[in-house]
Amino acid sequence: MLSVTDMSVDYGSTRVVNGVHLELAADEILTLVGPTGCGKTTLLNGLAGLVPMATGAVRHPDWTATPDQPVPPERRKVGMVFQDFALFPHLSVEENVRFRLADHAVGERWIARLGLDDFRQAKPGRLSGGQKQRVALARALAHEPSYMLLDEPLSNLDAAFKESLRWEIRDALKAAGVPAIWVTHDQDEALSVGDRLGVLREGRLEQLDEPETCFSLPATRFVAGFLGEAAFLRGELADGRVSTGLGDVPATPVAGATGTVDVLLRPDDCAIEPVGEGGHGHVSLARYEGGSWLYAVTLDDGPVVKARTSHEHRIAPETRVAVRIVTTHPLAAFPAE
Amino acid sequence: MRRRHFIGALATAGAAGALGGIPGWPVHASETGGAAKATLADAPSVESLPSLEGKLTLYLGTGEGGLYENVLKAIEKRNPGLELGIRRGPTAALANAIVAEGQAGVRRADVFWAVDSGAIGLVNEAGLAQPLPGDLTGLLDPVFRYERWAPITGRVRSVPFHTGRFSAKDVPTDIMALPESGLRLGWAPAYAAFQSFVTAMRLLEGEERTAAWLQAMARNARGYAGELGVVMGVERGEVDAGLANHYYTLRLKAGKPDAAVDMAFTRGDAGCLVNASGVLAVNEGELAVNFIRYLLTREVQSYLAREAAEIPLVHGVAPPDGLPPLSSLSPPELDLTRLADLRPTLDLMRDAGVL
Amino acid sequence: MNRWPGSYVPALVVAVLAVLPVVVLFGLAESPESLLEARNLRLLLNTLLLTGLTALGAIAIGVPLALLTAFVRLPWNRLWLVLLAAPLAMPSYLGAFTLHAAFGMGGELENVLGLQTPSVFGLWGATLVMTLYTYPFVLLTTRAALLGQDASLVAAARTLGMPLAACLWRVVLPRAATAVAAGALLSALYTLSDFGTPAIMGVDTFTRMIYVEYNAFGLGRAALLSLQLLAIVGLVLFLESRVAATPERPGRALVLWPRAWQAPALLLAISPVILLALVLPLAVFFLWLVRDGAGGFEPAFAWNSALASGLAALAAVVLALPVALAARAGRFGRLMERVTFLGFGVPGIVMGTALVYLGLQLPPLYQTLALLVLAYVLRFLPLAVGSIRSSVESLDSGLARAARVLGAGPREVFFRVTLPLTRRGVIAGAALVFLEAMRELPATLLLAPTGFETLATYLWRMYEAGYFGRAAVPGLLLVLLSGLGLAVMLGGERRAEFGLSGDNRS
Repeated sequence: MLSVTDMSVDYGSTRVVNGVHLELAADEILTLVGPTGCGKTTLLNGLAGLVPMATGAVRHPDWTATPDQPVPPERRKVGMVFQDFALFPHLSVEENVRFRLADHAVGERWIARLGLDDFRQAKPGRLSGGQKQRVALARALAHEPSYMLLDEPLSNLDAAFKESLRWEIRDALKAAGVPAIWVTHDQDEALSVGDRLGVLREGRLEQLDEPETCFSLPATRFVAGFLGEAAFLRGELADGRVSTGLGDVPATPVAGATGTVDVLLRPDDCAIEPVGEGGHGHVSLARYEGGSWLYAVTLDDGPVVKARTSHEHRIAPETRVAVRIVTTHPLAAFPAE
Repeated sequence: MRRRHFIGALATAGAAGALGGIPGWPVHASETGGAAKATLADAPSVESLPSLEGKLTLYLGTGEGGLYENVLKAIEKRNPGLELGIRRGPTAALANAIVAEGQAGVRRADVFWAVDSGAIGLVNEAGLAQPLPGDLTGLLDPVFRYERWAPITGRVRSVPFHTGRFSAKDVPTDIMALPESGLRLGWAPAYAAFQSFVTAMRLLEGEERTAAWLQAMARNARGYAGELGVVMGVERGEVDAGLANHYYTLRLKAGKPDAAVDMAFTRGDAGCLVNASGVLAVNEGELAVNFIRYLLTREVQSYLAREAAEIPLVHGVAPPDGLPPLSSLSPPELDLTRLADLRPTLDLMRDAGVL
Repeated sequence: MNRWPGSYVPALVVAVLAVLPVVVLFGLAESPESLLEARNLRLLLNTLLLTGLTALGAIAIGVPLALLTAFVRLPWNRLWLVLLAAPLAMPSYLGAFTLHAAFGMGGELENVLGLQTPSVFGLWGATLVMTLYTYPFVLLTTRAALLGQDASLVAAARTLGMPLAACLWRVVLPRAATAVAAGALLSALYTLSDFGTPAIMGVDTFTRMIYVEYNAFGLGRAALLSLQLLAIVGLVLFLESRVAATPERPGRALVLWPRAWQAPALLLAISPVILLALVLPLAVFFLWLVRDGAGGFEPAFAWNSALASGLAALAAVVLALPVALAARAGRFGRLMERVTFLGFGVPGIVMGTALVYLGLQLPPLYQTLALLVLAYVLRFLPLAVGSIRSSVESLDSGLARAARVLGAGPREVFFRVTLPLTRRGVIAGAALVFLEAMRELPATLLLAPTGFETLATYLWRMYEAGYFGRAAVPGLLLVLLSGLGLAVMLGGERRAEFGLSGDNRS
């Protein structure tokens, strides 16, 4: 549906988006995640045609945009949902949704589907954040875009609504059959709603893959750290296995790792057991997470690994523990640093 | 006012030579000509005047522009002890300011020099003008002697006509007969000098005759924004004759000697009124009076006659080239300060539909 | 009303000050005999036509230029802005005079370039000139408002398929309506009060009649007619107050990047305005300078102009702030704000005389720089009030409340929240007052210290004396100096650009 090659965007003399390649399949939802300032909003604005590209091309079945032949937003058949909703304050909910519709039927369908019927005459100023975002979504979808761009659609909402609205939006996109690029800085959101996930850092796309792959086989240490709790354990790679101080584990080399490597350990990859004497190290930090406990264990030879236990298992700090790698899938092995 | 650069050239033709100060200052050898009357002494030279010392504030009502500046510069140069502060502004605005200052009991102006005797009248009426010593006013032609102000230079109303088609004989000598003369006429009703002229007519002929004259004129006269425009219109042949102060014709001819325009003068009526720019002292004291003396010297008078084509009002100074001597004209007798009474004039003009 | 908003007391003081000259006019005016003659009606019609056409013209030129200078990333965009605002510092009578001299049969354009051009004269000529010298009112007020608008609504509309031009028309401009109206109001009031341009263009207006009366020593009737003119001022003020604002959250402004060929095309499109309003008059003056020769100009005049105008700009915004805030606080505040505008529609020479009467109430200050600055402030307060009010109106009141619950008192809220967030309006207001004071004439002539010559008074003197060529250097300096002043003030705008680096790239 959308094919992006070597796209860069400059802001003044600063390159904010740098040589991004990506393909968006029909009805796919692609999440883009990255820290503040990584260029994700700018990338989105570039895909919408709101800022000019410095290099590259964006290809759509109906048009191709290049720096020399830009395609203005209104000719791109794009839908966009904004962080601040961007509802027209002087128009009612209904008028916002129907903004440029000749046929009101589509608008009605989305008003009904997203539960906006009760306040269709209201001005946006009176709506709650969640309602505003539904109006914004209805408005974008009612205009039947060929692709959607969502710029942190949940960041201005109450935590309580975030979770449910996340799925509501995903379901709506799937129901409409519109491919979407969804930008967020929340890794949980990124991992859960996207069919594929891209991680942006300083304007570059560090990895673009299925969420599970990104999580368990991150392309870089940055991706590994950004998507979840990450610890690295030194070991020697041979024949698809790495021998570490905690034992021998299956591993997949990343970034051309051979010989001495650091394997990525997620908290879920480890189990810990208090021991009176011996063990591999001691608990240096304990954090209650509601459903579970997260512990940091400082190993005797230096590195820190993390592990989760059920909320019933409470281990006091400084307790000596034995650490066991329980994973069955191969761990990512990075070249040692 | 059609060709602006021409005007510029006209105005500066006089000024260009004057920028370095008044040529011939301080001693401008005896200017003769002019029908000197034996009873009057010739105007003094600056050489004979006391030098000016101290602070003096002059309110200078502009209108005719830069030539007065040159006179002031020359006076300052000659009197290093004089601290001359000059406030320039539209004549009416300065007159109003002096009146306001007078009401508030604040005296800022020492001397007021106005291009227009009407403004002098306004300040005079407010009782703010100081009496001038007789030896000063005595320098002026008796017609121009006033107790509390001194006319500096004169300008006479004239009828400029197109020399290609007419001669002075074709212009009536009675201003009241002008509308019926069959000439196509140009005038500038919004112009201050014209309004003073109508005021004079009103005072001399009465309101009724003046109203009838205005109405008769309005039927076939062509309006111009200013009187230089009238003279230029006459020269181009847009109209046969017009109504204007004399110096516009002289200045036009100074820049364009072969200009097809000359002046005729009516006799004994408002049509040849001699009006004057004037100066008055707002503050008592020697300095203000002595400053005014400088303006009535033969150097200043002949400079203004030569460069601005204004009529000198003291003896022993020749009138500007191209103008018959004052003695050959027959201006009406009229107290010029009465010309400040413009209100009834404007009403008349409005009722006649010319303003 | 149990308690007055905090801004009311200072606003009341300022409003009373600003209306004092008008009160003086009531004292000076003679009692009306014939209020409206048929002739006056014709003049009134001319005046209304010229005023209305000029306001429309100022919108037609000022709004597109505001869009361009606010949103489009042009090379040297600050330079263009400064040049486009500079006509405000040029006395319009000089523009009228030079345009009249340049165009038409035998005009300078024909003399020098051999171009046949139609003459600029009459109602249309006056409208053209007044438009050229008042559109910066609209440009500056509108631009300030546009920069305060969040760009996301435009992005939303465009992604919904609305072309850019339609977005600007239907999404951007309606939100800037108060600012456009405020600018057009100033342009209309300036036109009402101007005498020189209609006189040179041969249009008989109400103001011309006031001048005829004034110059015929009929101060009383000139004051009376000026007060009658206030009826039109009131009408204009009423019409402008009908334009309502919708408050919105400040955000980062829209940025449009022109394509390589578009930038020169846009500059080409704005060039006629600069050419007509600045280049042509200066070129004509320089032509005359070459013909006539120069002399007599002192650089001190430029310093005097900048000093007095700069002080006036500073004082005006300080006094305008409480009035602008009061206008938002309630009905009475709104009334006080309207009242400050009255004097701006009164012809300058009448206003100048009224200010002389006022100034004489403080004899030690009479004809000092301090009083001149005060006179400028009283005359041009509406310029500052108008642009600050439009930026105050779009301010989200939640921010002030947020600061209050954080423990800040009203004063602290004002200095730490309101003031920084209205900085653009304050700067635009200061710029307007600065430029307008640079070209002010009657009050300067009557109230400045004796011998205090400014660029405007020198220009006028040379013009009056017919030394048109000598208007060239001060004319150019007027443009350069106002450009410099503007550049300094606009430098303060940069600090008003919030959070660009953070939000924009995330």
